[in-house]
Order: sequence, then structure tokens, then C-alpha cells
Amino acid sequence: MTSSLLATLSGHLYTDEDVFALEQRQIFESMWFCVARADDLAGPGAFRTVQVGRESVIVSRAKDGATRAFLNVCRHRGARLCTEESGQVRRAFQCAYHAWTYDLDGKLIAAPNLTKMPDIDRVEHGLVKVHVREWIGYVWVCLADEPPSFEEDVLGAVVTRLGDLASIENYGIEDLKVGRRIVYDVKANWKLIVENFMECYHCATIHPELTEVLPEFADGYAAQYFVGHGAAFGSGIQGFTVDGSPGVDRIPTVAEEQDRRYYAITIRPQVFVNLVPDHAIVHRMFPLAADRTIVECDWLFLPEVVESGRDIGPSVELFHKVNVQDFDACERCQPAMSSRAYARGGVLVPSEHHIAGFHDWVLERLGLPR
Amino acid sequence: MIPACPLAALPRGEAHRLDIDPPVAVFHTEDGEIYAIDDTCTHQDASLSDGWLEGCQIECPLHSSRFDLRTGEVDSPPAKLPVRTHGVVVEDGMIYVVPSGAPPNLPPGVTAGRPRSDS
Repeated sequence: MTSSLLATLSGHLYTDEDVFALEQRQIFESMWFCVARADDLAGPGAFRTVQVGRESVIVSRAKDGATRAFLNVCRHRGARLCTEESGQVRRAFQCAYHAWTYDLDGKLIAAPNLTKMPDIDRVEHGLVKVHVREWIGYVWVCLADEPPSFEEDVLGAVVTRLGDLASIENYGIEDLKVGRRIVYDVKANWKLIVENFMECYHCATIHPELTEVLPEFADGYAAQYFVGHGAAFGSGIQGFTVDGSPGVDRIPTVAEEQDRRYYAITIRPQVFVNLVPDHAIVHRMFPLAADRTIVECDWLFLPEVVESGRDIGPSVELFHKVNVQDFDACERCQPAMSSRAYARGGVLVPSEHHIAGFHDWVLERLGLPR
Repeated sequence: MIPACPLAALPRGEAHRLDIDPPVAVFHTEDGEIYAIDDTCTHQDASLSDGWLEGCQIECPLHSSRFDLRTGEVDSPPAKLPVRTHGVVVEDGMIYVVPSGAPPNLPPGVTAGRPRSDS
């Protein structure tokens, strides 16, 4: 291959269900995985169910206000405990099969004939707990027995991209409010979505609105190619909006050098964060199959902006268009992944060469040769 | 009189299960009253001392029928029969239960006074 080009992964890595099963075990069930906005769990008993690798996970708020996470499986005969995507229980999770009942800390508190079985340890037969962390107002879980370092894996990804943690802390994401959430059902492999997010070689072709706001994107080098670089707004652009209009109130703690700039971060394996002066955009991917990924995207603004009912439409519309354009492109690639023409993969041009680092990382996690 | 537990060992809002035949649940309400009723729900073998105490009502943890601690009456199905209420005496910091002489309303498959016959 010429020095201008690097190889991509071969096509079957995007279609093979065995490879996907390996990714579920070695990546999604082994790493920190961002599942929900902490605000989604409004009070004790509030819960969401999410798919992490092969497991359904209940994320919920306990009586003491802490977030908890459990595998969504009754310890008795294995029935799915919560079948809804979200909801609120009053005091306990109860299995709809035999009424085994667990408190908000996962302890078994009642079951038919339970007192006749005094040898049952109610904690040991409680729900299987999953590790939980909260960061930037999001709930992260890890299904591994021994989770990797959150500091190295998650915070480290931010430092790698932005140069330091202060650069993201300036946006105070934990104090922002979700102004809009859009859920995308993308018929494409999760790696195509990551690769797309990492490069901007496609920007001038499929993102006319984004390239209007960030003219430097027309040269194909994404904000993620450099360390600590934010793409500058164009000279006539007043805000990060679909029509370049001013947007809403700027987050006051954003630094002067971060003003009028766009930053993008990929936190492997499934989170993308975009930062602009008046909002943050957080994507969480839920890979469901080799060819299907749910992407939940939040647009976060200052609380007073959301509560006052200010028009966030033009701000949301810009990246919603980008999302639709990107996911259409990913869906355009997915069917070709099984083509003879792509059996040995494709190529990365120089402005995409950093994606090879992502490919090396995937192969290493899966224990597969280059 | 059957000694149940020291009053100091039963904070308000809590229950104590007395493992006699049939078992009895002693409740200390948020208002400071002490009540004793049969511990077993009349619908299915569930321990009411594991249930949810609100005021003078205990909600069965399995199917949510609620029993009045003062009368034993049940508010709504699936349980249909009341539980027995027992007398309570507190003496020298100790809670005692004075068992009712009435026959208990135990659920199917639960019997008092003799070993359970499995079928």
C-alpha cells in the first residue's frame, strides 16, 4: 500500500455476529459504559433499563439518593425483572413471575414461603450488583468484576483529546439540563459510527450546515485529529446554530480561548461529547447487534435557558442534521461490509490516519491479529 | 403472655417477627403504638413483618393487600380474610404478646399446630 493510505479493518468485523459477541464480552461488558443522565432518575425508585453488551441492566435511585445498578434478572428462576425502558417503583422491584421482591438496594426482602426457608441469605440471593460511577451528570456502569480505572479510561480520554481536565470542567456539564433528547435507531455497526465521528474528510460533502459554521472542516481535518484544538467558528457566524444565528446564553465558566470554538471528544467505547460555548452535546451508543446501534443524544444547556423556554431549536437543529447525515452515511456503508469488494477492507487517507489507532485498539481488545 | 422483644429493640416504623406457631408480627407505628397480628398473609404464605407499614396499616410485600393493625381487617384483594389481632402488654421495657384464642385465617398450604403435609 502507498504511504498515503492505511488499511481499515476488513469487512467481516462489521457484520460477523461472532465478532460482535466478542466485542460484547471484551469491550462493552469490560469497560465503563455510560448509560443514563443522572436526572433521568428523578427520585427513589426511579429506574431505567439499558442494554450493556449481552446484559439488560437496571439503573435506579435508592432511598438514600445514590444511584445503583443491577443485572435485570430475578435470582429465583431468571425472569426479566423490569420489562419497561423506564419507570418508577414505589418501594421495591418485584418479579412478575413468582413475586420475589427486592428492595432498592437489591436485597431480597420478600417471597412466597420465604420464612419457611430461613437458610436463604437475603443479600446473597439479592440482585446482582453492577459497579456505578457518576461523572458530568451521567451514570456510568461497569459489568466487570474488577472495573478498569475510571480515571485512566474515561478521564484519560478527555485529557488525550483536550490536553487537560479543566478544559471540560469549564463547561460544568453536570449542572446543565437536558433541553432536548433524540434517540436514533441506526442500522449500522457501532464501529462505523465511531470512525465517522472521528474524521472530517466527509464534512464538506455531507455536512453543508456544519461546514458553514466551522469553515476549517472543509479541509478534512477534524477537531479530533489534534490535541487541544477547537475548530473556530466562521467570521460571520454568531453561534453554533443551523443558520449561524446567536444561539443562547453562553456558559459563564467557559474560558476566553474556548469561546467561538467547537471541541469533540470520543470516550471509548460508546460516548461522544461535543462542546460549544452555550451548550454540550452528549451521545451514548447502545450497540444491539453487529448491524444495529441505538444512539441516544442529549443537548444540554444552562438550567435557566431550558426552564425559561428559550428557543433552542436552531441549536438543536444543527447537530440533529449532522447526526442524520452521519447515520445515513453509516447505514450506506453497512450493507457493503459483506461485499466481496470490501472483504479486505478499505483505506484511510492521511486526514483519517488517526482512525488506525482506534482499529488497533479494537483488535487488541478482541485479541485478534492486525 | 409470650415475651416478644425489648421495646428498645423495636424502633418506630419497624416490625418484629415472633417465631411461634403460627408466627406473630409485632409492629411499632410511627405514632408510637404497639400492635400484634398474625404474621402470615391470609392470601399466600408471606411474612407481613417484611411488608410496608404506613400509619396503622401493614401492606403485604407480595400482593399489596393491606391489613389494619387495630382490627385485622383487609382493605382489598387478593387477601379476603382478616388476620387475627393479639393483645400487647409492655412491662418493664419488655413487649409481651397475649395470643388470641380465635382460630387463625391461614392461607392455603399453611397450617398451625402440626407439621405441614406436603401434597
